[in-house]
Amino acid sequence: MTILVVIASHHALAQTPTPTASATASDVAALRQQVEALTETVKALQQQVKDQQAALEKANITGNQLPQSEGTPSVASAPLPTPLPGASAQESFPTTDSSVVANAPTAPGAPTVNANGTATGQFPTTDESVVATPAGAISPTTGTPPTETSTGSLTQPITIAGGGKNYMNISFDGMFALAGSTARDLSHIEVGDHDPQQRGFNARNIELAFDGAVDPYFEGFANIVFKLDNDNETEVEVEEAFMQTTNLPFGLQLKGGQFFAAFGRINPTHPHTWDFADDPLVNGRLLGPDGLRGVGAQISWTLPTPWYSQLILVSQNGRGGTGFSFRNPGDNGIFFDRETTDREVRGLQDFVWIPRWENSVDLSPTQVVLAGVSGAFGSNETGANSRTQICGGDFFYKWKSAHAEGGFPFVKWQTEAMYRRFEAGRGVDQTFPVAETFHDWGMYSQVLWGFKKGWVAGVRGDYVHMQDSHFTDDLDRQSRSRVSANLTWYPTEFSKLRLQYNHDFLESNFFLSDRQVDSVFLQFEFILGAHGAHKF
Amino acid sequence: MKKILLILSIVLCAFSAQAKINVVATLPDFGSLAREIGGDKVDVTVMAKPTEDPHFVDARPSFVVSMRSADVLIDGGAELELGWLPPLLQNARNPKIEIGKPGRVQASQGIRLMNVPTNVTRAAGDVHALGNPHFMSDPIIAKAVAQHIAQALSAVDPANAAFYEANYKRFEATINAKLQEWGAALLPFKGQNVVAYHDSWPYFAHRFGLNIDIFLEPKPGIPPSPSHLVEVIAQMKAQKIKTIIVEPFHDRKIAEKVASATGAKVVDFSQFPGGLPGTDNYVKLIDTLVSRLAAALK
Repeated sequence: MTILVVIASHHALAQTPTPTASATASDVAALRQQVEALTETVKALQQQVKDQQAALEKANITGNQLPQSEGTPSVASAPLPTPLPGASAQESFPTTDSSVVANAPTAPGAPTVNANGTATGQFPTTDESVVATPAGAISPTTGTPPTETSTGSLTQPITIAGGGKNYMNISFDGMFALAGSTARDLSHIEVGDHDPQQRGFNARNIELAFDGAVDPYFEGFANIVFKLDNDNETEVEVEEAFMQTTNLPFGLQLKGGQFFAAFGRINPTHPHTWDFADDPLVNGRLLGPDGLRGVGAQISWTLPTPWYSQLILVSQNGRGGTGFSFRNPGDNGIFFDRETTDREVRGLQDFVWIPRWENSVDLSPTQVVLAGVSGAFGSNETGANSRTQICGGDFFYKWKSAHAEGGFPFVKWQTEAMYRRFEAGRGVDQTFPVAETFHDWGMYSQVLWGFKKGWVAGVRGDYVHMQDSHFTDDLDRQSRSRVSANLTWYPTEFSKLRLQYNHDFLESNFFLSDRQVDSVFLQFEFILGAHGAHKF
Repeated sequence: MKKILLILSIVLCAFSAQAKINVVATLPDFGSLAREIGGDKVDVTVMAKPTEDPHFVDARPSFVVSMRSADVLIDGGAELELGWLPPLLQNARNPKIEIGKPGRVQASQGIRLMNVPTNVTRAAGDVHALGNPHFMSDPIIAKAVAQHIAQALSAVDPANAAFYEANYKRFEATINAKLQEWGAALLPFKGQNVVAYHDSWPYFAHRFGLNIDIFLEPKPGIPPSPSHLVEVIAQMKAQKIKTIIVEPFHDRKIAEKVASATGAKVVDFSQFPGGLPGTDNYVKLIDTLVSRLAAALK
């Protein structure tokens, strides 16, 4: 850097004496300004040269020692061992720069550009101030990071390898919502556990997230969620904590721990990545308010196809509220009005088995589609041998401008549909009068338009059909639909402000009458720290 | 016999086609260098488009497919791709391109990054903790990256090491010669100030003795605000700045407004080969940047 600007000043100085006689006053003024600026630069550079020499001395370079300068080195006279064109103003531009590259790519002995001020009329082609080490020192076979060598004297550290300087990324995410609704039971209208649960302020997703490489074989992830209930008491959830392999052969990957099941598109993701302030109805009702997640293991295989195709198989305990449609004892031991069994695993049939197959192709350089089918199969607790099967299909399309700034503008369309067959048994000890089989289904479809950097508008339609029953008056078994519209502003990717309107229509059934609800949410969120990037 | 020969030649063709080294580059500038060095011995796939913001590229699943079969992955290593490369790497499951393997080139390795922040705070906008990652606009750095790529290719494909080395030498010679041209073209404008939309140009400015220290963005990644633009306009008038450089993904209208208020010219710039017409490789890109800038500064 030093060198270059010195040359620059030389050139400028060399050229100034030869203006044509017709130089105007403004030309002269401009030149004077330039000369003043250059003088400033030269002063700064002199200081840098001194620093550089001091550092070089410290580095104790042999063979290439800089001449000691006494007193203040004058730029014009100091014999800088740099690609200086010397006093004679030659058209020469440096072609190396050891201040930016670790070492001149040329061999150390090779004649670098006009050393010692001999004017060869060249722009330097190397610059030891920019390149840190002979690139040759980077062992190509082992990739050993280059050791810092004699270039010394530089103020900035040289990048040895990419990646962070910490063993793990730690981030904190606070998501809040101010809710208004015509319903007094917002916790029933909103089906997700991280959705607004009461009129007024809500803090349903305050999250600590950790991720990083465990060792050369595994990566680890953890999300610990704190939420405040409607009485402002803090609840803690180990939402996810899992490890996964990094370098199994044949496109295989294993994962183990507590994690969201790979079912559809919304279920495996964290609420703060959602495009709406609340969970789709079908997710909340069929997979559960907390999503389908649990302790388990997963194997996935990226097929050797020319397009993206992945098979995933998850096995989880499926016990408790996060295995909602499976081995879930329900609130106070009641699920769909049945007194539930709450038993240990009897065999493989009591685990939840969750297969998924997803495929993606690029329709064009700006358009991508991703489609998947998922299933979840296991037992439930409403009878000794009651089974649950859920099947789902999902579709995602995204267009993003080829001239996108900050990822905008874009349009994305996402749809999921699910069907659940739920064998509701007669409860523990056959205490419920009948066994029923519920065929429930639902879907949502949403379109998001990022119309300007940081701004996204969205609409969503939701429907869930719960089979009517003459025996079960469970409030959750009401068929219903919803339309939502929202506008989100992301000042940066670390904060957001979202205004959303929902209109809910709850259909009548054998026990419940129909009703309509209007709700408005103002959601706000911030993220601190190094938050892991999100999947497509 | 003829049939056997035919089959053999087809098999050989198929084999030689397969034998090409798969190179995946995160950004088009790395891709261009890989093509220079690898020639017809490599297939190069570039993930980011030259016209899009390299900070925000979608981690689309088709990239996983490319990375799965990559022999060499070239990334910046300076966190420019932080928002999209990690999930792809998690899904690629390709041990050949792990950090530390010969098939992984982190271009910033051995490069002295500029503007390394002493304190990292997001109050300063999108500041990269490792320093400014837009280093490829300095041709001297590009040579070092090219050499790094040549070494990686030689390591994964030793049979063609001499070929890669020769291509590197040729590239080096081209850059060395071109630097004379570029240096001469920009020499008359040494020390001049240029305004940029985003702080992508410190390396280019450093190489050619320009000052590109005033930005339309108040802070990196933060959209221009009216009050900041008023300040910029005042600075431009005071310093008689004639040029504003914008990249293909920036809001050109904002730059045009500032230009009309100051009498400056808006010059289309790009960090990436292919981001401007007629710039399908790195050398042509710098050619274009230099000639456009020289024309605007005249």
